[in-house]
Amino acid sequence: MRNKIIGFFKINKSRGIQSTIMLAFSVISISIMLILGIVMYSRFSTLSRENTIQSTEKLMEQAGDNLEDYLVSMRQISDAVYYNVIKENDFADQSDVIQRGMDLLYEANKSNLRSIAVYNGSGSLIAAEPVASQKEDPNVTRQGWFIQAMEKMENMHFSTPHIQNLFDDGTLRYYWVISLSRMAEFTIHGDPQIGVLLVDMDYFSISRMMKQINTLNNGQYYYLCDSNGEIIYHPRQIQLSDGIASENSKAAAGYKDGVWDETFEGEHRMVIVNTISYTGWKLVGVIPDSTFTHGMINIRYFVVMLMLLMVMTLTIIYRVVSVRISSPICRLNDSVMGYEAGEKPEIYIGGSSEIRYLGHSIQSSYEKIETLMTKIVMEQNERRKSELDALQSQINPHFLYNTLDSITWMVEGGRNDEAVFMISQLAKFFRISLSQGRTVISVKDELQHAESYMNIQKVRYKNSFSIVFDIDPAVCACCTVKLILQPVLENAINYGVSGMDDCGEIRVTGKLLEGCVILAVADNGLGMSEEEVRFLLTDSSRIRKHGSGVGLVNVNNRIQILFGKEYGLTVESEPDEGTTVTIRIPAVEYTEENRKILEKGHIFNREELSGRQM
Amino acid sequence: MKNSKKVFILTEALLAVMVIAVAFIMVQEKNGKKLDRISVIVQDSGDNQWAAFQYGLKMAAQDLEVRMFFVSTGGALTAEEEKSLIEREINNGAAAVIVQPVPGSEEMLQKMANRIPVLLTERTSDESGEESRLPVVGPDHYAMGAALAEELLKDYSGNLSGKTLGIFSKTGGSQAAVERRRGFTEAIDNTQATVLWSVSAPFSEEGEVLLEAQPTVDFVIALDDNSFTMAGEYAAANNLHGALVYGIGNSTEAVYYLDTGIAGCLVVPDEFNVGYQSLTEAAESLAHSSYKMQDRTVSYTVLRRQILFTRENQEIIFTMSQ
Repeated sequence: MRNKIIGFFKINKSRGIQSTIMLAFSVISISIMLILGIVMYSRFSTLSRENTIQSTEKLMEQAGDNLEDYLVSMRQISDAVYYNVIKENDFADQSDVIQRGMDLLYEANKSNLRSIAVYNGSGSLIAAEPVASQKEDPNVTRQGWFIQAMEKMENMHFSTPHIQNLFDDGTLRYYWVISLSRMAEFTIHGDPQIGVLLVDMDYFSISRMMKQINTLNNGQYYYLCDSNGEIIYHPRQIQLSDGIASENSKAAAGYKDGVWDETFEGEHRMVIVNTISYTGWKLVGVIPDSTFTHGMINIRYFVVMLMLLMVMTLTIIYRVVSVRISSPICRLNDSVMGYEAGEKPEIYIGGSSEIRYLGHSIQSSYEKIETLMTKIVMEQNERRKSELDALQSQINPHFLYNTLDSITWMVEGGRNDEAVFMISQLAKFFRISLSQGRTVISVKDELQHAESYMNIQKVRYKNSFSIVFDIDPAVCACCTVKLILQPVLENAINYGVSGMDDCGEIRVTGKLLEGCVILAVADNGLGMSEEEVRFLLTDSSRIRKHGSGVGLVNVNNRIQILFGKEYGLTVESEPDEGTTVTIRIPAVEYTEENRKILEKGHIFNREELSGRQM
Repeated sequence: MKNSKKVFILTEALLAVMVIAVAFIMVQEKNGKKLDRISVIVQDSGDNQWAAFQYGLKMAAQDLEVRMFFVSTGGALTAEEEKSLIEREINNGAAAVIVQPVPGSEEMLQKMANRIPVLLTERTSDESGEESRLPVVGPDHYAMGAALAEELLKDYSGNLSGKTLGIFSKTGGSQAAVERRRGFTEAIDNTQATVLWSVSAPFSEEGEVLLEAQPTVDFVIALDDNSFTMAGEYAAANNLHGALVYGIGNSTEAVYYLDTGIAGCLVVPDEFNVGYQSLTEAAESLAHSSYKMQDRTVSYTVLRRQILFTRENQEIIFTMSQ
């Protein structure tokens, strides 16, 4: 996990300027948009919530007014029956007038009324409208409306909905009514009596009113309960009594008018309560949270869509802007990278003035670097060359002195032919040594040089050893640094065969092996200890006292200066058995062109060289 | 550079796909979800006995947001007629049907159940195993028959010696009537009551002639609403020669005969819940394809004249009055 995070930051670190600009812009704008979206949504949500509550309140106010009007009209009917009909007349002799009065009022309000009836204190029917036969034993005195009216004489009482259990109109049906009952005083034969005036309102008038406001399909609903929380109307009335559903009407009955928050059966909801005057009934509007959500779903999608479209547009704009900003920088970067990869130093100059200046500046720096580099390379080559020359120049004086000394003895001893041979060999020796100042010569010339040298030495050592050349002809056409065999041979003579009587042998072999020229000088002389072998290629002072002054160290250095560290000398020696010195150089065909390339002093590179690779 | 271009194109494509998806959802939401249609087929759909059942269906349809279609049927149905009605409803887009099975419709209903969910309001007389039986929502008819007998016994302190009974049913062929009869007869088996006659008139036939032709008895036991109201009507007109009606019914007429003292006892199945629960069950099977409809047994209430207007019983009459 940690590695992943580190990896992520590493990727971030190496991200291009364009991506960085894009990313920064995107993060900022998406964050702003998210905040904007959330704020916008919550604002919409609050507004919509407020709107819903307001419209519900208005609707409830209206419904409450209608309900109140209805109930007031019922009370007015009750008043009219009581004060204008019952109280004004005597039931004994003016029953016709009473009946007519009741009939008039009933007919005028037929649509909302089920019946008007007057009962005496013992529950006997005195008058009723519409005229219908009374049921056998309705037990009026035990019915709620009668009891309430008799209990509180000064009030009018509204019952909860119930079945009217008073009359038998022969329709085999039962009517749901809400009873408005009051204690009534009336006279029969001049005797004042107490009874109950009952106005049965058709329950369906109220349920119709409630149904009209309960048409929304979004979970919101309205119900009516009395002051004790007993349901008068509820859209799911039977479900409530069957226990399929439940309602918090008891709590609602305790609420004052206004908007209340409540949680009922785990669901949060808003409850709006409106009390119907006089009756104490509560008209309750319930708005579950799901109603708000339901209304907001489309707004939610709209906000999401708006945000997505904005992100799309902004991404395009950012892309264009970031490309415009980063393009000159990227092009400048590309040209710098191209330069670093070895292309021609053409630095991009364009874009804004800052980047243009940067381009100019980088270009001039590169030009300066280029000049300096060329200068440094030249100086380096010069230094190598002079070093090579210095090493080569170490060869001559001592050897020349000894040879000339030998020639002098020969001339003095009358051995003119030998002296001539010696001089001619010396001439060959020096011709190749000089080689018109070249450093690189062919292996053939080098072998010729070695042969001349050995011929001179053989004369000097009076043929006390023999020399054998076993050379693969293919080797002769290769390049070599000049004067590499002679010091090795000198070493073989001095430390190998010089002290031996006639049986000393030096074998020079040359062959091609795996793209290299292998020249080996083997003697059967005294050999060396391991320690001496080790010093041979490290201690340059060791040889000076005997030889031409050019040690194997010198040879090894020169080969390595020219061809590289992987080439050079290897020495194998066994005391009393002999020594073999192997020279390993790359097989490069000797041509004028290759020679010149090699002599430039650059580090050896096969691909630079033309012609056959061997 | 190329990489960032690829990321840019991918981001834009992804955003475009999301915009299209949201637009699609918005359009779907605007069109509103199509409500499932559940059709209900019962015999003589206009009869008062279905008022509570229909009210239950209507309430459940409102609660569950499904479309309920109560198929209008003039009277008794044959299996063939019922089949063509179901097929017509399926063609009209019904996603499920609630059916009152008629005798002989078992096989046809089983076949229909392979096409759409079929729920019954009564058990069929199909003898096949419990596993393959179609789900039923209804009262325990046997228990209702037995309860009726118990009420009768209660009224006479368990002593019915010398009393004569006549059992009357207008839906004789139905499994419900068979179970009610069995429940009743088994409960009075050990009493001294004599069942003078037991008449089952098929639904389609007129029962009046049958009823009139029967000898005088002390009690007429009406095993369904139609026979109860008919017996009540006859008793009211004094054509039953003073016989008291005991029975099972679920209409305001039946309640009226109880209220007026013509009937001694009325056992009322909770038809509101038959409607409500059958529609709930059918809607559930439509909402969840993996849902397997279950049998549901609803309760029944024993109504007596003395307790007819208690609050609970008023609710029952309320559902019948809708």
